[in-house]
Amino acid sequence: MNTNNNLYTIIYTTVIVVVVAALLAFVSQSLKSKQEANEKAETIAQMLAAARYDFKSELDKMSNSDKLDMYAAEIERAFLIDLQGNEVRDLGTDRDAIEVFSPKDLKRINYNIKGGANATGEALLPVFWFRNGSVVVPIYGAGLWGPIWGYISFQGGTPTIGGAYFDHESETAGLGAKIKDDLSFQLQFEGEQADFSQANVFEIVKGGAPKEADGKSVVDNKIDAITGATMTSQGLDAAIDTWLAAYAPYFNAEEVVL
Amino acid sequence: MEYLSLFVKSIFVDNMIFAYFLGMCSFLAVSKNVKTAAGLGLAVIAVLLITLPVNYLLNRYVLAPDALFEGVDLSFLSFIIFIAVIAAIVQIVEMVVEKFSPELYSSLGIFLPLIAVNCAILGGSLFMQQKDFMNIGETAVYALGSGLGWFLAIVSLAAIREKMAYSNVPKPLKGLGITFITVGLMGIAFMTFMGLAL
Amino acid sequence: MSQKLKETILNPLFKGNPITVLVLGICSSLAVTVTLKGALVMTLSVIVVCGISSLILSLLRKTIPGRVRIIVQLVVVAMMVILVDQVLKSFEATYAIDKQLSVYIGLIITNCIVMGRIEAFALGNKPWPSFLDGVANGAGYGIILLVVAFFRELLGSGTLFGIDILNWMGYVPNNLVILPPFALILLGCIVWVQRSIQKDLQEQ
Repeated sequence: MNTNNNLYTIIYTTVIVVVVAALLAFVSQSLKSKQEANEKAETIAQMLAAARYDFKSELDKMSNSDKLDMYAAEIERAFLIDLQGNEVRDLGTDRDAIEVFSPKDLKRINYNIKGGANATGEALLPVFWFRNGSVVVPIYGAGLWGPIWGYISFQGGTPTIGGAYFDHESETAGLGAKIKDDLSFQLQFEGEQADFSQANVFEIVKGGAPKEADGKSVVDNKIDAITGATMTSQGLDAAIDTWLAAYAPYFNAEEVVL
Repeated sequence: MEYLSLFVKSIFVDNMIFAYFLGMCSFLAVSKNVKTAAGLGLAVIAVLLITLPVNYLLNRYVLAPDALFEGVDLSFLSFIIFIAVIAAIVQIVEMVVEKFSPELYSSLGIFLPLIAVNCAILGGSLFMQQKDFMNIGETAVYALGSGLGWFLAIVSLAAIREKMAYSNVPKPLKGLGITFITVGLMGIAFMTFMGLAL
Repeated sequence: MSQKLKETILNPLFKGNPITVLVLGICSSLAVTVTLKGALVMTLSVIVVCGISSLILSLLRKTIPGRVRIIVQLVVVAMMVILVDQVLKSFEATYAIDKQLSVYIGLIITNCIVMGRIEAFALGNKPWPSFLDGVANGAGYGIILLVVAFFRELLGSGTLFGIDILNWMGYVPNNLVILPPFALILLGCIVWVQRSIQKDLQEQ
């Protein structure tokens, strides 16, 4: 076989490309529903962690089925709002019809919030009310190497934050990845107040947020950035600002029940 | 003005070598003298300038969710498609360099085809996918800026290494060892650009 | 085991180390050495990918057309890594592991070591030696990674594998060490040590 023959080269390349693409497409398609089920359960666990039902590490020990059960039991209301803060439609909350948003869905909503060439339509934002009084909202944005996202929960309809959980696709282990792995980073959000009256709704401060005399963080809209992970911290800050600003009309409206 | 700030940002703030440490292997190996370094730098600029817009179009019109048909998301093929495009273009660049500058071709050696695996090139395409550029113009500006940043980095390192060849470096540290340390120090220096809002 | 095979396995561990001698795989060694755990995960992944890719491409070596050599190599490696990622994502038991690994997937596919060894060895040798060469290079890469990660995690965070070692003594983690440039400086020192021992590697 003359491996340098032009015709052979073309045929070989075509065959390889077709075989590889077909194999990947086949595997991706057939495994898709299983992957989506895993992703859904993971999303639910992240929301429950943000709503302070338990630590994420504990929630991770549950099976997918148990996570779905827990969500169905604890969710009080879930619905979509528009950028003016009006409710548009309810989201499924029955055990077998749970509607939650994967990072890909959040990416789409992110485009719509920002407008511009990549927007596909009107921005519809999800709001999740849990039975323990937490109101959970997602955020999504760009980290250093890839997308970052997560959930922030508010106490009742107040601007006081109850908890937060974040995740990422490819941030640096030990640095940017701390938004997910470092519990103490996430715990900083507890008790802080989002300031819905300004564009800089929340601040992740490089060099440290203001502290009280006893070392505890002042109750305001600032927390410490991650040392050595400036870009990831800035990306998270921007993501939180963009999304919470979009939710501002909803939180500011008088109808929001405490 | 936006193009200008994107251009300056991609040279200094998003510098492929010093901010993201991509493309290190060929960066370290080919920075022994300024002439060859400049040659490789130009090749990297050329490859980026061609592959980024092509991959941008592919991403926009084929790979992105709902791009080809409603409900079809081909983004899991991104890696392979980007790599295939890059490898094909590198092959072409290789043939062009061999024809027009045989001495550059032989001095670059294996590092010309290795541009195909150069993390900076693939990284450029993956970052492009993330940054969601509005049009092909922005992509081209980013490509040029990234390439120039890489070029700047490798030529400055080559200049330093040429000078260091005359210094009294301890034998075990000569060559690779002192280069690693130098790049580390240059990296710390470049951190002044990090987080600059442009 | 034949002398040649022995050499294939032992060479990449020290004398022909992919990072410190062949200058391959540098990019990832900066990113994943912040923690020992990250370095370990990356090492195991590279050993597996490098070994199996070398094996597959060695099996295919007589059929690959000269001009599209690089594309074929890249496509095979990328396909393998993506397939593993897809499969791990689908099972409940492995989903959590996959989430940890997906960070590294991009870094593995473009790791110059994988491509470099395929070009330099697998394309000209039989499958079994190629497999061993891939595994050995992955291991050589891993040794350096673990050394760098040891210092970076210990001095930069005061921990090893997440377990607090220095902090309880009042140690303040050194933030310079945690930055990527420091990994380069550490690599320079490792090369210094290696070449002091192995004088024939010294440049003139």
